[in-house]
Amino acid sequence: MSPRKLLTALALWTLAISVLHVSLNTRWDSFVNELRPEQERKLNVAYIPVT
Amino acid sequence: MTDYIARHSLEQYLFIPKMFQGFPEIKEALISNRIQAGFLVAPLAIALRSQGVPIKIVFLGHRYGSAMVVKRGGPVKTVADLKGKTIAIPSRFSDERLLLLRALKANGLGPTDVRTLEMAPPDVAGALASDAIDGFVMGEPFPSQAEMGGFGQVLFHAREYWPDYMSCVLVVRDDIIEKRPEAVQVLVDGIARSGLWLDEGQTEREYAAEFVGRYYYNQPPSLLKWALTRPLDRVRFNPLLPRKDDFELVHGLMLEYGLIEKPIAFEDYVDARFAEGAVAETAWDYPVGHGRMDVNQLPME
Repeated sequence: MSPRKLLTALALWTLAISVLHVSLNTRWDSFVNELRPEQERKLNVAYIPVT
Repeated sequence: MTDYIARHSLEQYLFIPKMFQGFPEIKEALISNRIQAGFLVAPLAIALRSQGVPIKIVFLGHRYGSAMVVKRGGPVKTVADLKGKTIAIPSRFSDERLLLLRALKANGLGPTDVRTLEMAPPDVAGALASDAIDGFVMGEPFPSQAEMGGFGQVLFHAREYWPDYMSCVLVVRDDIIEKRPEAVQVLVDGIARSGLWLDEGQTEREYAAEFVGRYYYNQPPSLLKWALTRPLDRVRFNPLLPRKDDFELVHGLMLEYGLIEKPIAFEDYVDARFAEGAVAETAWDYPVGHGRMDVNQLPME
């Protein structure tokens, strides 16, 4: 494989992993929520996995 | 629970449920306003309020559901056998610690007769299995986890030493209560309806165990099924109204064991308006049946 093809494949792989990470691992609802006016913001409610 | 309420409330999403692994983290998040409401153990909520943290207790999360667990086949057969042993608790400011102290006192022992160790709830069953501790007092499903694993046995359930025992309470920041009381009422109404739905019977509890285990707690549904059904009243979800008598008992124990320095009035740490506003609520209309496992229509926590 030529260096150019290798670099292209690496770049595509990095891009794919980054897109997957940003879409799957980021709480976009929380991020967007912080940008809303205070009165319209959703409430963050904490719980732990115990009764 | 909050996710279901959010999905079904006023045709909009009002709440974002956030899972934590321990109460200290929830405390910090409340203080820093990263979260606006959350479930805390009752003594921690009272202590925070007495220290000036702007929160109020508005509802309970459940009743009972805590137990003292020791090693199966180990040397501890009675509460008196706990003398000199190391017991894990979720927090110094927890109902579980007060429950342990009540049980010790009833059996002629004092706080200094055992060594207590604060531990994150998910860690206690493993610690017991590896003999790092001699026992733990914790909320479900961790007593069930030790029972199911075959290495733990319940020494006593909360109800044996504390009738109408309560543990987790719902707290809300004062600024939210003041500026957005309608949102708080929706949350409390939803929890009340969820509790009524859960207390309808075994089928509902088994169904809840399935989706909560898979989609919220990341725990085996079989474990939650054990915790919610063996027996059915192992954890109860009614009545959840914050009653003055219950809290005065906790408050008195906190003073006795030095968790707060001076008394604090019930009205200063509890706002019962929302719970009173939810008394006429009915269970979610969510019949359980074959093929209803739909993540977009999930009921409660």
